[in-house]
Amino acid sequence: MSSTVVIYSEDVDYIKTGIASTKGKTIVISPREVRLGDENHVINEIDEQLIAEYIARLKPDLVLTGSSKRDKTVAGLTAGLLRVPIIPDVIELSENKAKRVVYSGMAIAELEFSYPIVITLVKKNTDIRENPDCKIIKADLSGNSKVKVVEEKHKEGGSIDLSSAQIIVSVGRGVGSKENVKYAEELANALGGAVGGSRPVTAELGWLPEDRQIGLSGTKVKPKLYIALGISGQPQHLAGIKDSKIIVAVNKDKNAPIVENADYTIIGDVIEFCKVFAQKVKGI
Amino acid sequence: MSSVIALFKIVPDDTLIRITQTGLDLNVPYKISTYDKNAIEEAVRMKEKYSLKAMGITAGVTDRKSIREALAMGLDEVVAIEMREMDIQTTAENIAEQVKGLSPKLIIGGETTTDSSGGVFIPYLASLLNYPIITYVKSLTLIEDKVRAERNLTSFTQTVESELPAIVSVVGEINTPRIPGVKQILESQKKPVKTINSTAIPKVKITAITPYTIQRKKVVIEGKMDEAVDKLLQYLKGEGVL
Repeated sequence: MSSTVVIYSEDVDYIKTGIASTKGKTIVISPREVRLGDENHVINEIDEQLIAEYIARLKPDLVLTGSSKRDKTVAGLTAGLLRVPIIPDVIELSENKAKRVVYSGMAIAELEFSYPIVITLVKKNTDIRENPDCKIIKADLSGNSKVKVVEEKHKEGGSIDLSSAQIIVSVGRGVGSKENVKYAEELANALGGAVGGSRPVTAELGWLPEDRQIGLSGTKVKPKLYIALGISGQPQHLAGIKDSKIIVAVNKDKNAPIVENADYTIIGDVIEFCKVFAQKVKGI
Repeated sequence: MSSVIALFKIVPDDTLIRITQTGLDLNVPYKISTYDKNAIEEAVRMKEKYSLKAMGITAGVTDRKSIREALAMGLDEVVAIEMREMDIQTTAENIAEQVKGLSPKLIIGGETTTDSSGGVFIPYLASLLNYPIITYVKSLTLIEDKVRAERNLTSFTQTVESELPAIVSVVGEINTPRIPGVKQILESQKKPVKTINSTAIPKVKITAITPYTIQRKKVVIEGKMDEAVDKLLQYLKGEGVL
């Protein structure tokens, strides 16, 4: 079958995941030159709607995108323009079958589909290298943008990529106050890890910046050690930590759902735990 | 009177779904999907602020109790599209059909649902309607014939503007959904609900749903903190993670 496969993402790791998931000729669309695929169309700006229109004009049989927020927006728009089915957050893809996680991380759905289709992929580690014969094409995103960007605010000092952190100390409402977050930070420093938080702590209470949110809405993490401090364990949070190797919970409540979803739970005070643990780690 | 439309999905309550020996127990009460409640709340705030009519459209399971809750929160009317089977495409096509008759100023949906968690539905619908789209919105204002929104794009925020009509998806931090009082609940019984049956056949078929479990060790450590941490450190060294 001669088919056109288009792979788009802002993130080169997603593009590599896309290439590893398909055979045959591929057109890679990216905001930077990545020299992947048979052709690499380099776009000059990220306007989700114009990118979707560009992809649709290529009349693809298969579109693979990343699963970042803007990637997904492009994917949905593209599928709508092409009037074809779409499957988001695919963890496994073969021929006309795909697997994805559903019900807040509690189940895996197996799906059957036909081409043409748009699929957004979950990031995987691959050993895909640059293609020296890749044809570089400057892509002109012509057309009128319907949405005008007025302002962009980036965090000072950049943001922390929780999705690749090996050790995460994560705080929930149970830490008690914004001031107490510093104990978690001290522990994270002692362990060489990053600090994240649940939705209430990041999005509602503002104890941590919003980019630290871990869960269904927010970042999905896969560290070797995840320490959940005062996090009760709502399904939306558990959905984001499922792929952690070891989960440690510290909670006053022995009946909190997190206990059932952790490898080790210490029943006790979060602040006291942070102080004692940090002290002992420094002593190792 | 121009209108604002809130889109919401009724889903099995994810806090009650349990994994049993025979599989996933989905026989649990329904609820309005978490972030779709934020969409309803935002539509009701728009109604109060800009004197718009607040409509709701739901597709899939048309659980009366959940629809009543949406009306009690302040929606004036709900269109309920009953779909036995659904995928993103057929759902978007059915909803687009209903939107065309209503010609709203603004459509608001949640960023993702708790059952299928896709995050691509609102963009799909935007293409079908040919509306400008703003996803992951954490604050929203109407200025004359424009909408101004702040987007949460995880590592940065973006303020954008577009013409109306437009469609947006909202994140949880945009508002705190209200809890309706007895009066609102009583009033909601009189509000109109239009039910439509869809027989659309989805192109993406679900062939199996299996529980996704990772066996955790569930070791509980109690006692003095000093000793508890020592125990934990031993375990963690044994696991090779420290």
